Amino acid sequence: MARQRKVGPALPLAMDFCSPQTEEFTRISRFFDELRKGRLMTTRCKACGALNWPPRVVCPECMSDELEWVELPRTGSLWAFTELCAGAPLGMEEDLPFSIGIIELDRVGLRLLSRIETPYERLKLGMPVELTVVKLPGKKVMYRFKAKGRR
Amino acid sequence: MCPNAPGSCPRGYPMRKVAVVAGGLSRWGVRKASWRELVQEAGKAVLDDAPDIGKKEIDSLFVGAASPDRLAFQCHVAPLVADMVGVYPTRMMARTEMACASGQAAIRHGWLAIASGMSEVALCLGVEKMNLPDMREAQSTMTAVLDREWDAVHGASAPPFFAMCAQHHMLHYGTTRHQLSLVSEKNHGYSATNPYAHFQKPVTAAKVEKSMMVAPPLRLFDCSGITDGAAAVILASEDVAGKLTDTPVWILGSGQCASGNNSGNWKSLDSWQSMREAARTAYESAGITERDIDIAEVHDCFTISEIIAYEELGFCKKGEGGRFIEEGQSRIGGKVAVNTRGGLLGCGHPLGATGIAQVIEVYEQMLSKVPPSRQVPDPMVGITHNLSGAANVHSMLVLGRDA
Repeated sequence: MARQRKVGPALPLAMDFCSPQTEEFTRISRFFDELRKGRLMTTRCKACGALNWPPRVVCPECMSDELEWVELPRTGSLWAFTELCAGAPLGMEEDLPFSIGIIELDRVGLRLLSRIETPYERLKLGMPVELTVVKLPGKKVMYRFKAKGRR
Repeated sequence: MCPNAPGSCPRGYPMRKVAVVAGGLSRWGVRKASWRELVQEAGKAVLDDAPDIGKKEIDSLFVGAASPDRLAFQCHVAPLVADMVGVYPTRMMARTEMACASGQAAIRHGWLAIASGMSEVALCLGVEKMNLPDMREAQSTMTAVLDREWDAVHGASAPPFFAMCAQHHMLHYGTTRHQLSLVSEKNHGYSATNPYAHFQKPVTAAKVEKSMMVAPPLRLFDCSGITDGAAAVILASEDVAGKLTDTPVWILGSGQCASGNNSGNWKSLDSWQSMREAARTAYESAGITERDIDIAEVHDCFTISEIIAYEELGFCKKGEGGRFIEEGQSRIGGKVAVNTRGGLLGCGHPLGATGIAQVIEVYEQMLSKVPPSRQVPDPMVGITHNLSGAANVHSMLVLGRDA
């Protein structure tokens, strides 16, 4: 896993874009535990079968609280993309410029937004991308995507 | 699924008529003034515009403010505004927060409070203080407008989102770089005539295309500014308005529609279904069609937003928004005059104040109070539109005057 640089002073909780990920603070800590092992997970409703994104504790379709964890595909295609060149929020200034895209995951009919760990100049609409996981300050992790087969 | 399915919106239910009877603004820009000083400036301006309204008549107060908790480290702001302006509401007061649509939310609440019979006179004041010693305060606060834990955590703020909207609109409909630039050129041209605007110099399309890249294809002059400012209107019931003026500007109708908040729910980046629904509800509730609209204040937070707005508001066919600006149809003298005060691109975008300043523009246009160079000839019907978040919520008002 690539290590993100820690930038700036320690942020008070209300200024940190990455929320607490441990079981003390969230009921979806399993998402982050699995992500540490390289697996992107989400919840699926056992009652109505809806695939939720992001993970939930109550299904927004049928209000059931009987949800199960399922693994999402590690691959997808790049549905839209751009690059942030200026005006980064707190904690991300030293990452500039960075690519951002919306990924259409393979087979599951789900799209999600992600930082793209591939330079903007090399991105093309529809290109295959794959999951990567980065470490963030405070023992946190986050998913990213990158062009498939590239470092 | 949008709950605002066709035909589900109430219309014709008993509501009292509500008029805009006064408007006033602070100077907008990078202001050497604090949050509460901006409030005082707009409060004075609106009360100066309504010399016949005693402050004791103001029984309700709504404060449009997107993030005073972060940008001014102040919660419970409606009572603070009441104190700054010297009004003491006895019927209803609240801060209204809908990010970039917070100002219009204040007006929609004031409208309903009066329309319901609870209130007679409501002050709706919007404000944002965005320029602070560290620019990251505003950048971070605006980034948190998107789903912070799952989208914003990646660094996705408004510019990247609207950049991807532009990418898709260019791909699907052939919208050009030059057409985006023309929106900025038009709106900066109008803001150059607006003494309250942040940006008072014309900007050519060529200058837009040479400006700093923010999030390709969007450059600096494709983006609205980070601006300090406040604006306020006074709304009144028909009974009160009739005593104050012979030329009331009425709120004829309104609409709002939401779609999914997280990126996983964004069905399309360049076709905004919830905007079409909000417009349909607004037009139906006011008993108008898009052909009746003389003046439109639309949410041009980015150049691409105004182009998509032309389409979703029904001013042109889907995909022809680029051609609409190129043909000059959104200029004064075209099919519909859009953003004559200069829009968000020219005036800047103090989040909570924008929706109120837009209503002031329509109000002043209808009373021929704007500088002659941007006066629309005899406007009868006007709309204001705000989007918020990742363009997933759209809010609209329809205003009109008696024939």
